[in-house]
Amino acid sequence: MMSKIVRTQANFLYPFILIFGFYVVAHGHITPGGGFQGGAVIATGVALVAVAYGYDTIKKWIKKTHLTAAEGIGLLCFIITAFIGLSTSFFYNFLANSGLIFGNRVPYGINPGYLNTAGTLPIMNLAVGIEVLGGLSVIIMYMMAYGREVKQ
Amino acid sequence: MIEDIIQILVLIGMMITAYLSVKSRDLMECAILLGVFSFLLSLEFFILQAPDVAIAEAGIGAGLTTAIFVMAVRKTTRWEVEE
Amino acid sequence: MRNVLMSIVFLILLAFMLYVAINPGDFGSSTGEHFVFGAPKFTDMDNYFIHNGQNQTAANNIVTSIVFDYRGFDTLGEASVLFTAVLGVGVVLRLLGGGRNDE
Repeated sequence: MMSKIVRTQANFLYPFILIFGFYVVAHGHITPGGGFQGGAVIATGVALVAVAYGYDTIKKWIKKTHLTAAEGIGLLCFIITAFIGLSTSFFYNFLANSGLIFGNRVPYGINPGYLNTAGTLPIMNLAVGIEVLGGLSVIIMYMMAYGREVKQ
Repeated sequence: MIEDIIQILVLIGMMITAYLSVKSRDLMECAILLGVFSFLLSLEFFILQAPDVAIAEAGIGAGLTTAIFVMAVRKTTRWEVEE
Repeated sequence: MRNVLMSIVFLILLAFMLYVAINPGDFGSSTGEHFVFGAPKFTDMDNYFIHNGQNQTAANNIVTSIVFDYRGFDTLGEASVLFTAVLGVGVVLRLLGGGRNDE
C-alpha cells in the first residue's frame, strides 16, 4: 500500500490505460498494434493498480486462477482458430472476403479503415490479447505473492 | 533537420542512462534508469517509423520490466555487494 | 583500468550510433541499392506482400496480416514461449518462495 497521492493517481489513470489497451487489441487489423502490444498495455494497467494498492488488497479483487484461466483460454482459441482452416492449410484465413462475420472486402489502396474486415485476424488478435494479458499479469501477481519483504 | 536533432538527443540520453545504470551501486536506481532507457528506446523506434515495436517496448520494457525489477529489489538486497 | 576501458567502449558505441543517426544511408527509400551496413536489397517478397496483402487477407495493416496470417507459425511459437515462461515462473516461485500459500 503506497501513499494516498499514488492511489489517487492510479484510480484516475487505470480506466484510460485499460481502454487504450482494448482499443489497440480491437483495432489491430487497422492501426498499428495488435494482440501482443494491447495485452502488454492492459497488463501495465494491472501492474499500476497492484503496485499502488499492495498485494494484500489486490488479492481480493484479482484472482490468480482467473488470470491463468484467461491465459490458457487465449492460447486455446488461437490454436483452434488456426486449426479450423486446416482443410486448405494451417493458419488459412477462411473468413476473409467471405461475407460472413469480419468478411467484408477492403478497397485496394488508401482507405479510412473498416472494422468488419480481415477475416480471422481480429479473432486471433483477441485471443492473443487475452493470453498476453493473463500471462503478464499473473507474472506480476506471482512476483508480489511469494517471498518476503526485506528490511533495507 | 529537427528529426536529426531529436534523434541525436535521444541517442545521447540512451547512452548516458545505460552508462549510469552499469556504474551505479544502488540497484533501485539501476531499475529506474533502465526504465528511462526503455522509454527513450521506444521513442527512438517511433522516430524510425516502427510504431508496432514502439508500443511493445513502451508497454513491456518501460512498464512491466521496471515493476518486476522494483519488486525483486524490494525482496532481496538493495545495494550491490562487492565480491 | 576497468572503468577506463568501459568508458572507451561507451564512447566508441556513442560515436557509431551518432554516425548512423546523421548518415542513415538509403534507409526507408524504395529505390535504395543497399543500407549503410550491408542489409539486403528489397526483394520480391516485400512487393508481393504490399501488392496482394490487402486483397488476400482484407486487412489494412500489412504487419498484422503478416504476423497472424502469412507467418502464423511465428506467432504460435511466441505465444507458446510466453505460456512456458509463465509456467516456469509459477513453478519456481511456488517451490522456492515459501511465502503465503493462498490462492
